[in-house]
Amino acid sequence: MKAYDVIVVGAGPAGSSAALRLAQKGLKVAIIERGNTPGSKNMFGGMLPRCPIVENLIPNFWEEAPWERHVIKNIITFMTDLSSTSIMFETKNFDKPPYNGYTVFRPIFDKWFADKACSSGANLFTGCLVENLLRDGNAISGVKIAKEDGEIHADIVIACDGVLSLLAKKVGLCKETKLSDMALGLKALFYLPEEDINQRFNLVRRQGLVHTILGCTEGIRGGGFIYTQTESLSVGLVLHLDALKESRVAPYDIFYRFLSTDRLKRILKGANLIEYSAHLIPEGGYKSIPKLFTDGLLLAGDAAGLCYTNGINQEGMNLAITSGFLAAETVYEAFEKGDFSAKQLSKYEDRLRESFVLKDIKTFEKSVDLMNNDRLFSIYPEIVGSVFEKLLQNNGKPRKKIGHLSWNIIKDSMSIKELIIDLIKVGRFIV
Amino acid sequence: MIVDELFDLVSYRVDREPHIKVNQVICLQCTHKACTFICPAKCYLWNAEKNRIEFAYELCLECGTCLLACDRDALEWNYPKGGFGVCFRLT
Repeated sequence: MKAYDVIVVGAGPAGSSAALRLAQKGLKVAIIERGNTPGSKNMFGGMLPRCPIVENLIPNFWEEAPWERHVIKNIITFMTDLSSTSIMFETKNFDKPPYNGYTVFRPIFDKWFADKACSSGANLFTGCLVENLLRDGNAISGVKIAKEDGEIHADIVIACDGVLSLLAKKVGLCKETKLSDMALGLKALFYLPEEDINQRFNLVRRQGLVHTILGCTEGIRGGGFIYTQTESLSVGLVLHLDALKESRVAPYDIFYRFLSTDRLKRILKGANLIEYSAHLIPEGGYKSIPKLFTDGLLLAGDAAGLCYTNGINQEGMNLAITSGFLAAETVYEAFEKGDFSAKQLSKYEDRLRESFVLKDIKTFEKSVDLMNNDRLFSIYPEIVGSVFEKLLQNNGKPRKKIGHLSWNIIKDSMSIKELIIDLIKVGRFIV
Repeated sequence: MIVDELFDLVSYRVDREPHIKVNQVICLQCTHKACTFICPAKCYLWNAEKNRIEFAYELCLECGTCLLACDRDALEWNYPKGGFGVCFRLT
């Protein structure tokens, strides 16, 4: 006997988006969350990029949602031990509602978003771990939670159980996760008064900044980040797991040394550490996306591997919200037809392919190769730093033109073969 | 600031039962012991005297890094029971 039409596992952005949409359409939905509150298990840089789907789900989203700052400024820095070279971009166009991206705290945002689903009629159960899926023949027919009489039946389950996607593994939708498809994110949250943040980063009101740093990971593939919240800074590192394992260096030691650099110390002067967190990030790109549906079950969000970075954009939360919404649309259609088979649910993948979600991940398929290039995180920041130093250095010696100077530095740092390989990769990335 | 300060600021609700079980027999054979350096919460330590992994599940951030880094199937890995484990306040 089914208790719900649909069970959503995980009250993160994908889960709450799916549940909200289904509840709006009048289906009986339960969201099952293992944390005591939504968001209490999540770690995030981070910025929620503007997401039109969520504006459809919640009109006046940007006015109502509990975000911290809207991002108007992006900085990318190539750092070496001695030098740093930055590109900064800011625009007034990102300073206008509904804004281009927002920094958020996940325990606050996720709770608010799940409450939205509840006020539309979804039921939220927190502190409940889904141990297994129930089956009726080949089809998934509900979940088993770790409580007495914990079997809950439904026609469809949407698994939004996060990056490790243990449920997808249980039903065989994805096999072993490869080390090379994952990155470890580490983050420290620092309290700093609002006026100090504004002064230090040249911001006013609730303007925010995203700062990406290359060359701060001791040669391990990855990077550093700084995000501004209203009264706090999120500072962290992302480290590719395969490179980290090979290095045999502890991630918190690299992180600690990063926080102890003069540059970071200046940024963090007077700031108080208030929380530390770590989480995995799916970084395998298009090739590592699992099969997204089976009879009676769909995957959304990180559980579906819907996350990517191309070095400039880091997206996950917007893809999670959009995938949850598209999963809900597919499920609603399945209810109209009374058909919960994999064939009917395969329309979910079609919807994702038509949307920016899979289109973007496909577009930046090759950027995964670029990001998997060790030189990007060690040699290139050094080259950029050396070129600018030589350009600006005053030592009474005749100057060289930038092309000649750069060429000399490049050919001293790497082989021509390596350079050609990298140029091809960059070429694939930009066009 | 010292590195251990990072770990002191995490909130937990600790279950009596560990959610991850370590198979010490397998660990004894392991040559890389990656868990002892890769875990971002420093939960795994190699005790050379007792020839075993000392595992502090209480400090686990539930990220899954150990599960992926262990290539010998030495971990029986689950999330903590509902409501237990790490509880991020703001992050």
